[in-house]
Amino acid sequence: MDKKTLKELANNLMFDMKEEEYETLSKEFEFLLKEMDKISEFEGIKDVEPLFHPFEIKTSLREDEAKNFITTEEALLNVKEKIGNEIKVPKVVGE
Amino acid sequence: MNIEEFRKKIDENGIKEVFNESVKISKERQKDVNAFVTIMDSFEKSSSLSKISNIPYALKDNFSTKGILTTASSNMLKDYIPVYDSTVYKKLKESGAILLGKTTLDELAMGGTGTTGHTGIVRNPIDTTRSISGSSSGSAAAVRMGVCPFAIGSDTGDSVRKPASYAGIVGFKPTYGRISRFGLFAFASSLDTVGIMATSVKDVAIVTDILKGKDENDMTSLDNDDEIYENLIEKDVKGLKLAYIEEICDEDNNKEIFNKIITSCETLGMTVEKVNMDKKLLEAVFAAYRTISCAETTSNNANLSGILFGPRAKGSTPDEIIFNSRTEGFSELIKRRFIMGSYVLRRENQEKLYLNACKIRRLIVDKTNEIFNKYDAIILPTTKDIAPKLEQEKEIINDKFSVLENHLDIANFGGYPSITIPSFEKDGMPLGVSIMCNIKKDALTLNIAHKLFEKLRGEENV
Amino acid sequence: MYNVTIGLEIHCELKTNSKVFSTGKNEYNDEANVNLSPVDLGFPGVLPVLNKEAVRKAILVSCALNSKISNKTKFDRKNYFYPDLPKGYQITQSREPFGTNGYLMIHVGEKEKKVLIHDLHLEEDTASLDHFNDYSLLNFNRAGVPLIEIVTEPCLNSSEEAISFLEELRNVIRYTGASDARSDRGEMRCDVNISLSKDETLGTKVEMKNINSFYNVKEAIEYEIKRQSELLDKGEKILQETRRFDSTDKKTYSMRSKVDSIDYKYFPEPNIPVLEIEEEYIKEIKDSLPKLPFERVKEYIEKYNLSRKDANTLVKEKEISDYFEKTISLGCSPKLVSNWITTKILGYLNKENIKINEFYLKEEYLHELISLIENEEITSQQAKEVFDYCLLEKKTPKEITKEKNIKASSNNEELQNIVNKVIEENPEVINDYKNGKERMLDYLVGQVMKYSKGTANPIKAKELMLKDLNS
Repeated sequence: MDKKTLKELANNLMFDMKEEEYETLSKEFEFLLKEMDKISEFEGIKDVEPLFHPFEIKTSLREDEAKNFITTEEALLNVKEKIGNEIKVPKVVGE
Repeated sequence: MNIEEFRKKIDENGIKEVFNESVKISKERQKDVNAFVTIMDSFEKSSSLSKISNIPYALKDNFSTKGILTTASSNMLKDYIPVYDSTVYKKLKESGAILLGKTTLDELAMGGTGTTGHTGIVRNPIDTTRSISGSSSGSAAAVRMGVCPFAIGSDTGDSVRKPASYAGIVGFKPTYGRISRFGLFAFASSLDTVGIMATSVKDVAIVTDILKGKDENDMTSLDNDDEIYENLIEKDVKGLKLAYIEEICDEDNNKEIFNKIITSCETLGMTVEKVNMDKKLLEAVFAAYRTISCAETTSNNANLSGILFGPRAKGSTPDEIIFNSRTEGFSELIKRRFIMGSYVLRRENQEKLYLNACKIRRLIVDKTNEIFNKYDAIILPTTKDIAPKLEQEKEIINDKFSVLENHLDIANFGGYPSITIPSFEKDGMPLGVSIMCNIKKDALTLNIAHKLFEKLRGEENV
Repeated sequence: MYNVTIGLEIHCELKTNSKVFSTGKNEYNDEANVNLSPVDLGFPGVLPVLNKEAVRKAILVSCALNSKISNKTKFDRKNYFYPDLPKGYQITQSREPFGTNGYLMIHVGEKEKKVLIHDLHLEEDTASLDHFNDYSLLNFNRAGVPLIEIVTEPCLNSSEEAISFLEELRNVIRYTGASDARSDRGEMRCDVNISLSKDETLGTKVEMKNINSFYNVKEAIEYEIKRQSELLDKGEKILQETRRFDSTDKKTYSMRSKVDSIDYKYFPEPNIPVLEIEEEYIKEIKDSLPKLPFERVKEYIEKYNLSRKDANTLVKEKEISDYFEKTISLGCSPKLVSNWITTKILGYLNKENIKINEFYLKEEYLHELISLIENEEITSQQAKEVFDYCLLEKKTPKEITKEKNIKASSNNEELQNIVNKVIEENPEVINDYKNGKERMLDYLVGQVMKYSKGTANPIKAKELMLKDLNS
């Protein structure tokens, strides 16, 4: 796994790492991908249905009731920059 | 000290005295153990008549507590004050339990060494040169230090059971959904389970009884089972059938101890039989767990951006703010996991990596269910050996791993209830043994564990 | 000329009390950042809990679009970073949406067209951003509002077809009550995919995102057809890309090409279990569907002989169409009812700015009024007067005619006298008529009506006039 790809992956996740950290990551990748290869070669794996939830859970839906609000002050409690009731960010350009 | 003993002490000395003493010890041991991110300086006396009323407890610092700093031991959340209560915290408050403090974890509950929290390493209180593992490191340490009779953790792979085992206490991961996850900072949502740590199975049962139940805030929470676990733990276990998996036990460094445990089980009238599982499948547990948990955690932690909470880095566009906040906020280990998770979800890799891992998950769960068709429980050593020396703990994976060190993940794959209890000591350090039952059989798991726990305590004292 | 192929993706907000995955209030025109749930802000530890009513409405619209309804519907995560997306992912459906393989019949001019619907899925809206000179402000009231996304197959071939489809779809959604679907309030937004080719194969797809009005959809499509045709004429290649439509200069601009296309890394939402939908529930919803506008237009034209224009006017609002149908079911001529609605009633509602359900003259009263005409008790002209009085005094037509003594003249002798008088007074007109100017008859009858102050029965007046003229 080359550093460029790894950096691209990191940047897609909105962060960067130090040079030497990419090296560690690269080694870790190598190991994990080897392990993953074992999985893909597992006998009969093709016909198995993937499992996404630990077991089947019966769902019950929520009644359409608006309730349990937090206050505007609470909503903004941890916000570092705000104007009035709203959260301030540098101007969004593009889309 | 268990709940009953704390109760006695409170009756004798008063709540304030007991609370203050716990605070004092906790603070004293911050230097060498570092169990807490936050230690409370006050409490509210409760008039609740519950079994845990006015009993101090510790809560892992990844449960949302309104008005109380909650960091998940990450720089990304080092100043975060939640504005809502997790269901677990709410229920404990309603039962009158007293929050002693919020405990240190591996950053964002990822990693199992207790060394990656933003406030430093957590050490094993029994021997501070040794690891307590993680990620519920501080919770395990708090119970072991005797500052509270129980603590709450979260278990995604082994994060409650492994530190409990190294600390010589009981650690219980109930069935997935038995306890609401609302307010538990998500690591890998399809695996995350609220767990309970205490000095006895009975105390674990008491606390589980209080925490369990359907929650309208968690769609995956189970319907109430209308059982009182505390009342069911004393049931006779005679005739129950246990199995151990040979391929896993083969790696045990302490086979003679496991054999002694088996003998104890048999003395209790249970049968213990050997079963086999494809070694290749067991070896795949690690990679499948890594793949699934990393995929989910990458997405679960995408809310940490510095926009609405957490430290906000500088930047001239919102993208720059998010980028810089995340670059500065996450440690290297976390970033590596995120990248791994993102990689396996990529369009071109998803089939081969992520979906295959989910298929392995199915195969393992199917196989485990087959065992549960014939047996009431699976019994296995919790870890390969006693807690390692801290300098041996590394969070970089590059070596051959053992199936014994990864078998606890199976309980999370299938959502099974799984508990570790202390068995015997070796070199003055505790070893644990695990009991796992089929889904929703939390009462049975606690029942077997309690009987065995009492039996082993008896033998120890002889 | 090139073959134009268009596919549409329409986002429509559902009308519910609470949000799709939280108990936050579904009302974002309030003050900024009020009535929020912690879930709407993506705080650590929050979990989605699916809203029953949003599910019902998603299935309802799926049924109205003749879709196959999934028995086991699933939710997925779409991962991307944007300041208006608090969790860093959107919960949507990619594997098993509520509805698949549907269609909607539309009228394009006089022709009918079947528009194929690929799927309908349920998802959540984002927060809204207000832009200022050097900063933007975030408001989370809209975050988590339920959205349905309807994706058509690439089967539309002109801007006219696209607009007809959008209008029909909007009406259908309104008929189901799932949403008011007002694009002026941002409740309905549209992405357009368009490709041009010389032959039957599909050309290179160009995508235009988030167009906020039907008019702009039309402009964007027409601009793209022109732009791409010119490129193809010159022998140039069309780039596969996403473009942005600028509503000020009505042009489209490149945003990103295919190579930079975002990988959203979809995967199953672990916090929402697979949702089983029982056949019985689907049937119940299907049975609750009202008769939809396409069918109504067809019926009004074919069965009631209304003009397409009138039929379209009547079905524009379900309540109006229902009013029309109920009135004729009481036994009135469809044509007359249609005329009353399109000429008098809609004008009145518009002037008073009220809805038909607030309109005083209920179906029974309109029926009463029209029956008075049909039974020759009052004339059409008198009926208009009665109508105005009814609304002014909030009384029934019968009460008004009685109180004000309004009735058609039935006295033949009196009418004959007027006819005689008109003949006496208009010798020249009579001459013209006799010399072949037949339309003069209408003038003469008109004079009779005038003298009678509108109380005369025009048919009878014409009868008597003809008799005299021809004798």
